[in-house]
Amino acid sequence: MGGAREATGSGFADASSGPGVAGWSRPHLLGCAGLSADELRSILTRAERYEPIATMDAPRGEDDRHAQHAACEVLRGRTVVNLFFEDSTRTRVSFALAARRLGAQVVDLTLAGSSLSKGETLIDTAKNIEAMGASAFVVRAGTSGSPAMLARAIDRPVINAGDGSHEHPTQALLDIFTLTAAIDRRGAYDLAGLTVAIVGDVVSSRVARSNAAAMTALGADVVLVGPPALAPGSLTHLAHEGSPGRVRVAHDFDAVLGEADAVMMLRMQFERHKSPAIASAREYRLGYGLTAARASRLRERAVVMHPGPMNRGFEIDSEVADGARSLVMRQAAAGVAVRMAVLEACVGASERAHG
Amino acid sequence: MERILITGGRVIDPASGLDGVADVAIAGGRVAAVGRGLDRSAAGRVIEAEGRIVCPGLIDPHVHLREPGQTHKEDIASGTRAAIAGGFTTVCCMPNTNPAIDTPEMVLLLQHAIARTARSRVFVVGAATQGRQGERLAEIGLLAQAGAVAISDDGDAVPTSGVMNRALAACSAAGLVFMQHCQDATLTGSAPMHAGEVAQRLGVAGWAREAEEIIAERDVRLVRKHAGARYHVQHISSAGTIEIIRRARADGLAVTGEASPHHLILTHEACAAHSPDGGGWFGDPMAKMNPPLRERADVEALRDGVADGTITILATDHAPHAGDEKGLPFEEAPFGIIGLETALALYAEALVGSGRIGWGRLIELMTAEPARLCGLDRLGLGSLAVGSAGDVTIIDPELSWTVSAADLKGKSRNTPFLGRAMIGKPVGTIVGGRVMLDPASGELADEAALAGVVAV
Repeated sequence: MGGAREATGSGFADASSGPGVAGWSRPHLLGCAGLSADELRSILTRAERYEPIATMDAPRGEDDRHAQHAACEVLRGRTVVNLFFEDSTRTRVSFALAARRLGAQVVDLTLAGSSLSKGETLIDTAKNIEAMGASAFVVRAGTSGSPAMLARAIDRPVINAGDGSHEHPTQALLDIFTLTAAIDRRGAYDLAGLTVAIVGDVVSSRVARSNAAAMTALGADVVLVGPPALAPGSLTHLAHEGSPGRVRVAHDFDAVLGEADAVMMLRMQFERHKSPAIASAREYRLGYGLTAARASRLRERAVVMHPGPMNRGFEIDSEVADGARSLVMRQAAAGVAVRMAVLEACVGASERAHG
Repeated sequence: MERILITGGRVIDPASGLDGVADVAIAGGRVAAVGRGLDRSAAGRVIEAEGRIVCPGLIDPHVHLREPGQTHKEDIASGTRAAIAGGFTTVCCMPNTNPAIDTPEMVLLLQHAIARTARSRVFVVGAATQGRQGERLAEIGLLAQAGAVAISDDGDAVPTSGVMNRALAACSAAGLVFMQHCQDATLTGSAPMHAGEVAQRLGVAGWAREAEEIIAERDVRLVRKHAGARYHVQHISSAGTIEIIRRARADGLAVTGEASPHHLILTHEACAAHSPDGGGWFGDPMAKMNPPLRERADVEALRDGVADGTITILATDHAPHAGDEKGLPFEEAPFGIIGLETALALYAEALVGSGRIGWGRLIELMTAEPARLCGLDRLGLGSLAVGSAGDVTIIDPELSWTVSAADLKGKSRNTPFLGRAMIGKPVGTIVGGRVMLDPASGELADEAALAGVVAV
């Protein structure tokens, strides 16, 4: 596991040079598609440094206090705005905690249906808040690509916290952060030789798209598993050109069980289906649920992941979700450290670009 | 009205089988003479056209002028200004306005507005069903009597076989062509683009080819039982649809197909914009249209279909939308792009430049063929035969230019071709003997209405 490491040095950011992550120069994080393995590693490496304090409930001693204070210098004086046009619990809280632990002020807005229903566009909403003074926007939206459109329209970093069925890049980063700790691949973050099965409602899943792009860039092979309606063959193109890993599609979950080093179960996103994509819950569960029986046929050291929220008893049995193989709670914990790294990286790149 | 003489151009008039250097004289709003060495002394105005193509005024049988109801996007005045700038002397406007053009009274109201404000000729296409709801038939016979030149629920297909069966019967009786927007909505939902790898990358739903082909196939089956029915597939996007039309035509059915400039040029790759400073992809609303841009093989099949005579109609599907609307995220932005001012050069690039057809056939596809489709040939449109309407387009086939938002004459700027280098441009447009785009100045005529001139 990542474990509690010592925070290095006296602080995380050199106060004179401001925030920033070596090897990262993009002002936005809109998706994992197109990010290089080195860029991904630069975020993950910085997240490692934040991990000891990321989920600290209270300081226990002078060292903890010192580390917290140092982190609070990184984005001191900045304001991070959470703009959530879709419901979210863990992602929103995780970003808010990450920003606060870096010393930023946080404006946390859940606008599901409210502002847009008054006829104000997402871009107008963001521009108004930008005019009041915002250092970065964390955006969740129901439509694919809207954070990218926002990034073109405003002058501040935009971090995609999930857009439609497109991408959820910080989720992929935290998934990799969690997985590499569990299988002892931290440091190099090299996933070569690993097979990761991503199972379920792949076609609706931004988590699957971001993970497919990021994991293959780091060398893993990704198998997207689901019934043909939810895992069509055209998904094999999700690996970025030049990535060392491959993406393939499979419809027989049982045939994949024995070769997976990690199984990531996806939530069935009924709300994104225009018409019912599956005949019934029981038929789906029979083919694609991670039941206790299926989990018992996994490789000995294989791990089980789920981005949440889980439909217990549907895509995953509780005894698997809460079992020894499960990384679900560690995924939630990892989110804070990863998002601290992302916020620092993007705000830093943006501030350097603006001189 | 002064007598106009256009001298020394390459006169292409497919309806008369003419292609050669000649002069064209227009008097009294009609073609007075075509021949070599026509008398210059009688002309009030002489237009030198050496090196240029002189042809019947171009006809676009598929545009959206947005009047009534959505005049913030376009109106009859602005849309026909764009038509004139693009060399079109005649356009046929689709009835998906608000309210829809689904009664003879609505046709008459629209014709009244056209008579007051149009710069080109405008003919009205009537709706097939009441309110374009696809349920109860519109009064197709009365629409025809009021002057509708075709019937269509464009924007949507007539969804059920039963209603379509009755619509074809009514169109057959009224002598009008039925123009279908082929889309099985139960397959596509509101999917914003072609079902393929680009849609998967963008994380958006896909609109598969079958949704177009199924409707075309169904309709061709129905056309077989209606003697005299004429059926037209609008804006074909899929190679499979071309095959359906090819077979129907081989069987002698009065089935035609239409290609739009964007489908002849672009693929679904145009929908994918990369986010250079943040990773990920996003959809470009400027490339969002319905039916969607597809793959290279479909583009090639469309060009081949034009070359082998399967596709006989070219139409822009000019679909203006305001900047705010096209500025929405991909899935929320409306479908459609403008086309009137860029069409000719794009057709020339896709069809003449690729060696599929020559200028002669291209002009035929933009004049005589659409005139026949909509019965406009009976009004003397689409031809330079003596006595025909004095509608002439003068084209510089070699002119290099760049599409610029500032130069566009319509109200909207929603086109993915902004900044594109083009070759070939209409430089003169004459409607009913009136110079609307002046080949000497390059300017549009002042805003004087064409009332009385365009009423044919």
